[in-house]
Amino acid sequence: MRDLKAVGKKFVHVMYPKKSSALLRDWDLWGPLVLCVSLALMLQGGSADSKDDGGPQFAEVFVIIWFGAVVITLNSKLLGGTISFFQSLCVLGYCVMPLTVAMLVCRLVLLAGAGTVSFIIRLIVVGAMFGWSTLASTAFLADSQPPNRKALVVYPIFLFYFVISWMILTFTPQ
Amino acid sequence: MDSNDDIEDVSLFDADDDVSRRSKKSKIRSCDCPVLHSRHPVASFFHLFFRVSAIVVYLLCELLTSSFIACMVTIILLLSCDFWAVKNVTGRLMVGLRWWNQVDDDGRSHWVFEARKVSAQGGKTSSEAESRIFWLGLITCPMIWVIFAFSALFSFKVKWLAVVVMGVVLQGANLYGYIRCKVGSRKNLTSMATSYLGKQFLRQTMATEDQAAS
Repeated sequence: MRDLKAVGKKFVHVMYPKKSSALLRDWDLWGPLVLCVSLALMLQGGSADSKDDGGPQFAEVFVIIWFGAVVITLNSKLLGGTISFFQSLCVLGYCVMPLTVAMLVCRLVLLAGAGTVSFIIRLIVVGAMFGWSTLASTAFLADSQPPNRKALVVYPIFLFYFVISWMILTFTPQ
Repeated sequence: MDSNDDIEDVSLFDADDDVSRRSKKSKIRSCDCPVLHSRHPVASFFHLFFRVSAIVVYLLCELLTSSFIACMVTIILLLSCDFWAVKNVTGRLMVGLRWWNQVDDDGRSHWVFEARKVSAQGGKTSSEAESRIFWLGLITCPMIWVIFAFSALFSFKVKWLAVVVMGVVLQGANLYGYIRCKVGSRKNLTSMATSYLGKQFLRQTMATEDQAAS
């Protein structure tokens, strides 16, 4: 269907990030919603003081991702960016995809064991995906800013994906 | 969300209504049965189904399953399906309104609200039931979610607040969009209000004058 094809095309764009206005023009938030829900599902039940149902963690991840994306968008708009609110949310949400893939890989690696080797593998994978996410979203978002403000826009995006990567890296199942 | 140009050609607010390009479902029937005649029963069903089931799952989640996550994911999925269905399908079919966001080439975005012009051949009476169902579902559900928001806030069940806020935002967005479509632009709204008040005032003065004269 038309909407599904649009979502699929955006996922492919994130895999090979080059600046294209087609991605920015037709924003939609279905992809970010699916990614957010799957990431939150995979991250639940991993902290030391989790209760049986892992409830608050699911809501925490959800709120962190959406609230973080909104704050970054507000920041870039206040700095004078030419991108619209929902377009920015769309890009930030879709660029969470490499980190979701990293989470999947981490869970698979943790099935095999939780020693030092697995930690190093996870660190490399999460680090690579974090770099990919940041580069992909920067490729789309930094162009809409004047050149002397690019660092001011990239820094919150860096922090945002860093926090998500941290949550993924420190995940240990019960 | 994207606009629906390739699915059905609904005429614009100011354009002429082209009868020959209507979709098969909105052909005007010649029967006289007015109110109970519903031309899009599937759309009406789904319009109410997702909203009501989201509310029901929220209320019964403690009884249905002990997993908070399953409830939350189910409610989120139902709310998303409801948002997509009401925005893209049922509004267009049941009341002939649609709204979307358009981004120009220079990056500015603006919201477009459209309403289908009603022809004079009595097309309106046969969809009165649908219109009533549509507006009833559209208005009551966000109000119920706002009530849930206050109850979650005041009973300190903060973990449900994320879901409830999402419900309020999604359903409130549809409500706002369709009210904007129905009323037209802001200019129309204020001019409509002033003309209505003017008519009422005139009626009052005529009534008192008649009373004084007789």
